Amino acid sequence: MTLLDIYFRRRAVNMTAMILSGLAAAVGLAFLVWILWVTLKSGLSALDLKLFTKITAYGAEGGLSNAIVGSLVMDLIALAICAPVGVLAGTFLAEYASRTKLGAVIRFLNDILLSAPSIVLGLFVYMIVVLPMSNLSHGAVSFSGLAGAVALALIGLPVIVRTTDEMLQLVPGTLREAALSLGVPQWKLTVQVLMRAAVSGIVTGVLLALARLAGETAPLLFTAFGNNFMAFHPLNKMESLPIAIYQYTNDPNPALHAIAWAGALLITLFVLLLSLSARWYLHRHKVTHD
Amino acid sequence: MTENTALPNMTSMFAATSSLVSMQPKLEVRNLNFRYGDFQALKSIGMDIPEKKVTAIIGPSGCGKSTLLRVFNRIYAVYPGQRADGEVLLDGEDILDVGYPLHGLRSKVGMVFQKPVPFPMTIFENIAWGIRHHERLSKADMAARVEQALRRAALWDEVKDKLKRNALGLSGGQQQRLCIARSIALKPEVLLLDEPTSALDPIATGRIEQLIEELKRDYTLVIVTHNMQQAARVSDRTAFMYLGELVEFDDTERIFTKPAKQQTEDYISGRFG
Repeated sequence: MTLLDIYFRRRAVNMTAMILSGLAAAVGLAFLVWILWVTLKSGLSALDLKLFTKITAYGAEGGLSNAIVGSLVMDLIALAICAPVGVLAGTFLAEYASRTKLGAVIRFLNDILLSAPSIVLGLFVYMIVVLPMSNLSHGAVSFSGLAGAVALALIGLPVIVRTTDEMLQLVPGTLREAALSLGVPQWKLTVQVLMRAAVSGIVTGVLLALARLAGETAPLLFTAFGNNFMAFHPLNKMESLPIAIYQYTNDPNPALHAIAWAGALLITLFVLLLSLSARWYLHRHKVTHD
Repeated sequence: MTENTALPNMTSMFAATSSLVSMQPKLEVRNLNFRYGDFQALKSIGMDIPEKKVTAIIGPSGCGKSTLLRVFNRIYAVYPGQRADGEVLLDGEDILDVGYPLHGLRSKVGMVFQKPVPFPMTIFENIAWGIRHHERLSKADMAARVEQALRRAALWDEVKDKLKRNALGLSGGQQQRLCIARSIALKPEVLLLDEPTSALDPIATGRIEQLIEELKRDYTLVIVTHNMQQAARVSDRTAFMYLGELVEFDDTERIFTKPAKQQTEDYISGRFG
């Protein structure tokens, strides 16, 4: 084989690999673009003011205002539950239990929670929140926004635990040694140096968790249940965007399908906004380093 | 502070003449053994580290020189499975004793690492943060203390106008001097330097070496280095270690001109290591 043969063979192999990987990327992207395109096209045509002003009780004449409010309330409560617990648990794993058996067991369990079917989490919360609250209210089944938020928090929790753990482990060990060699206690080191060094990663993890739980339907079926009227108090049954979409797409009325598409577009835009703000936050944080 | 950043010239190769080395020991190491799990990294080390002098520890990779340094402020204790036994006396008190207060030890024995590791804070906060844990100072006193530490580390002129900027924006050499300033701001008695210039360019290295010369008026310094010229330039006493044992420990000039052991001579003349 001459040198030229080797050269052409390598070029051919290179070209083949490039075309195959390019095709794979194109297939993946094509579906993403397709999904976005359909959502945008079908959603935009149903997007109007009454979506934000009218409740689902009016059906095809109504909007999604109670679902939007319900989603916001439940997502925020869920975040208020899972962000502190998740960040603290991730910190425990990375800083106090990183090389211990206990840490390995907790990490394993967290990974199971991360991949648990969301309907199971919904049933679990039905057992531990909805039923006991029903007993308190003398037997009337107490579906509530709060129960929905707890179920959503269980979706977001493992995401936050994992990213916090990983981001803290990325902080170089020399930073820990440098702080400890100044005689500073572990808790001060963790809060004032390590958290600060990892803050952009941790915030990104929290936003990703919020994006993830905002789109969940199954955990809400047995917990928040749904409500055709406006509810602000989290002890009431609550409507949410994913549940409204689920119910409207199951209905034969095409007018309701259109509203469901608009709801789908709203969730998509919300998640997109979250991702963008995560990126913006990361970028801004990086700039201050230079 | 002069802006002379040239390497110290080679005529002053030896920092001090041997006979003048005071033998007042600051740190006394007695029969020190160290284990990483089952691996014994230090084997019955015994040495006296003189006060207000520079002691260099040299030897090939894996000989235990960094391990020895990490015993002196017990930073090894962060990791489970690392154990030291024997005695290390700081002014006559055994720092390996469980009763010896750790934060007190670490304020007396500062450490500077191979890679500069500024904290993700402003330049001012990098210095003030450690002080605040040990002392309560007024705003003015703290500012004075920070300035003093930065001056001592020959960094003040370069950073005095940007104390509120993030320390991560400094150059590598500046960051390393910031780390030295951070340690000396706690008014330590001993300063441990673990290959402090191996990540720096020759000019930054020259500045750090100059700084070591100045610091030994007030502090006891122990420096681990891979660079034998550096050991010869900056130190008064040199310890040569090999495979976890202290082979030879003597005045630097003696180690580099007529070492007592064949192994030492082989290493410093570049026959192995």
